[in-house]
Amino acid sequence: MASIKDIERIALSRRGFLAGACCVAAAPVLTPVTFAAMPGDNRFVTIILRGAMDGLDLVQPYGDPAFAALRPKLGLTPDTGLLDLNGFFGLNPAASALMPLWQAGQLSFVHAVSTPYRDQRSHFDGQDILETGGADKSQKTGWLNRALAVIPRSDARKAIDINTSMELILTGPNQADNWSSQSDFSLADDEIAFLDRLYSHDPLFAKVFDEAKTTGAAADQLYADGKRGSGIADMAKLAGGMLREQYRVASFSINGWDTHVGQAGQFKKAAGDLATAIMTLKDTLGDEVWNKTVVLAMTEFGRTARENGTNGTDHGTGGLAVLAGGAVAGGKVLGTWPGLGEGKLLDERDLMPTGDVREVAAAMLYRQFDIKPSSLSSRVFPGLGFDEGSVFLKG
Amino acid sequence: MALARPTLAAIRYGYGLRPGQDSPSDADGLMTQLAKGIAAKDRFPREGLVGRRETATRVISLRAAEAKAAREGKPNESIRKETQREAQRIYRLDAMSRLAQAIHSPFGFYERLGSFWMDHFSTSALKSLPMRMIVPLYETEAIRPRMAGSFADLLKAAILHPAMLIYLDQDQSVGPDSRVAQENGRGLNENLGRELLELHTLGAGSGYTQEDVRAAALILTGLTVDNRALEMVYRPRRAQGGTITLLGRDYQDDEAGSQDHVRMLEDLAADPRTATHICRKIAAHFISDEPPAYMTEVMVASWKASNGNLGEVYRAMLEHPLAWENPGQKIKQPFEFVVSGFRALNLPDDNMSALLADMEGDDDDVGPVGKAMQMAGAAKSAEQRRKRAGQANALTLGALQKMGQPIWQPPSPAGVPDKSDAWLTPGQLSERIDWSRRAARLLGQKLEPADFLQVALADAATPETRKIISQAPSKLHGLTMVLASPEFNRR
Repeated sequence: MASIKDIERIALSRRGFLAGACCVAAAPVLTPVTFAAMPGDNRFVTIILRGAMDGLDLVQPYGDPAFAALRPKLGLTPDTGLLDLNGFFGLNPAASALMPLWQAGQLSFVHAVSTPYRDQRSHFDGQDILETGGADKSQKTGWLNRALAVIPRSDARKAIDINTSMELILTGPNQADNWSSQSDFSLADDEIAFLDRLYSHDPLFAKVFDEAKTTGAAADQLYADGKRGSGIADMAKLAGGMLREQYRVASFSINGWDTHVGQAGQFKKAAGDLATAIMTLKDTLGDEVWNKTVVLAMTEFGRTARENGTNGTDHGTGGLAVLAGGAVAGGKVLGTWPGLGEGKLLDERDLMPTGDVREVAAAMLYRQFDIKPSSLSSRVFPGLGFDEGSVFLKG
Repeated sequence: MALARPTLAAIRYGYGLRPGQDSPSDADGLMTQLAKGIAAKDRFPREGLVGRRETATRVISLRAAEAKAAREGKPNESIRKETQREAQRIYRLDAMSRLAQAIHSPFGFYERLGSFWMDHFSTSALKSLPMRMIVPLYETEAIRPRMAGSFADLLKAAILHPAMLIYLDQDQSVGPDSRVAQENGRGLNENLGRELLELHTLGAGSGYTQEDVRAAALILTGLTVDNRALEMVYRPRRAQGGTITLLGRDYQDDEAGSQDHVRMLEDLAADPRTATHICRKIAAHFISDEPPAYMTEVMVASWKASNGNLGEVYRAMLEHPLAWENPGQKIKQPFEFVVSGFRALNLPDDNMSALLADMEGDDDDVGPVGKAMQMAGAAKSAEQRRKRAGQANALTLGALQKMGQPIWQPPSPAGVPDKSDAWLTPGQLSERIDWSRRAARLLGQKLEPADFLQVALADAATPETRKIISQAPSKLHGLTMVLASPEFNRR
């Protein structure tokens, strides 16, 4: 893949100056457009955690008296490795790389938030609603794309999607670019688990897939953990490089959160990927730009409060959002904690949602880009009801 | 499990379901596809048959001139490189056209038979530089027009085409007592004679001897390729004279204007062992690795009754009850997998030529890969072009290479393995999962996994697969699993 330096150089030349791989001498004379580094501009990054991230595992409410009984195998305490945040919540040690941000006041979490999506708990619909920002599936374009149109300063409307193809959140009438990192990272654990299920009803395929995971040249490409980590880092590096230059908004996805079986091992990897992505972004952006940046990581819904029978958790409702960046007034666990005890769970199974994750996003857009609250409530998140009094503006 | 007939017809006898294309429900419908396919124009060679002869002979004569100059101490490296590049480019364009035709053709049975017979009469574009340009010509002019007529006609057209004569070294073979042999000491090459008996007609283990192989090779002497016209030509100076005996029959070198080789091919086509061999091979390719004798016997009877008319043989197979039962016994070959994947994804035709543009790094016509990347700011950078070409290749010719079935490059004269276990190995499955992910990402952006499953497999999707797909952790992985599913990889 191109080094980050190449990518920056290309990004710097509006007309696609042939500076990438070869033959500068043969290139026609073009005027490279220099973008003044605009360190005063704010940046906003969304990371979609696909598969339903278990917020109760990432930020564990060890101080809630009901938690230990709900999570006998997955629950931790500061005595068993949990990284204490505020005496009530603690961070899963798999994301320990993020602790310096917490200590520096550049990391917050928002607990018990969700989209308006209820009851069905389908990944596809949940992700569609998370990305389109509506109350149901009626919206067809992405909220981050619609937000571009209402950013008052047009030069801050440069958005980029760091995936092989444009994802729904940035799809719509407004210009957004798409850049993929060349590294094709390996499958996430939950994706492999689904393939296991897919092949389990065809004995021949099941046998061959078992062998495939450990042998052959493609095995390394598709199933190796190391390859996945470096792929995530490449993706974040690419996003960071673009944001340091003319781009102001970026989005990418991290998969691997659908932890129905053997969650402890799977979650550790996914949480590690998230920490890698955030810390790589920070390193790539440099302090000056990082201080103007908000990263919002969010998921389609949370997972059941109780562990299931296969050491995992199933689809739930209330989830967790992550806020990181120098522009975050961090070091807080935001949101209204609903409690986990008798009668506190939704349908006696899920963390009760007490806040709308769209409001978190709206608050960050308001703060980063001065978008009017009325635009946020009407065009970006129809029906949200956002104003300057939002509790999330304190985060 | 019984499938709806159109589903089974598309999957077993075509390259899978494609939105907007009807699939036949009986033998008549499939035979109509075959007839219409033969009547339609093939997409390769891209310059047409006459144009391709001109291109190929020009490249061949340029290289011959250069080779002559090199022998005289004046090599011309740039001509060598230029011609090599051009032949390679022509080959890649044709290969992409072959892929495109399979993806877009509404005549699935015709397309599948094209691949079957190209494999039966294997020739390889890797044999030599000119072969990069000749093999596509061979498929279009020798093989495809004759797939529904008499086997003898197909056999003669295949064996006597320059592609076959070059591939199996007939252009190197001369009679041991011929004038050419006496002048320069060259001799007999048995390659074509052997494969003719073993692969193309009687079949291995059918009772012929080494003496028969040699006799067939001797009868074929005199045949070679005229490089100026790119046609087969008979040169008496290379032929073994006299009487040669093959399988108890005598062939005179000078009979009927030196047409002894034609009579040999007709006799071999009429040999009962050939009927048994070919009928079994057809059934083993389409139905199952071990087709039951009571099915192949019906096909052989039809062969005999029609003097080896292939259309009648297919019809006998397609009208047999087993032709519509027990689906999914075969594993798709890589070409079938990739083609059916693109068909399910409903790759538009203009996107195919644009995909080609992506591969060529051509910026005037940006294809699905370029579009998917949508890099407005850097749309013309060399880096972007390189990346786009890499991705387009990874989905098409590169994928087929990695899966072990590059177009027009069979591993041996026996063609690619046809038994299912050859195509279900750990490495193969991983490559298919990888391809499924790439294709879903680039072409599946607007698709819902459950809808896509229905489009790709209809009633061939099992309830288990349906359920798992609906629960996938992301749409992308749902789409990936449709293409990677056992049902989609079987036929």
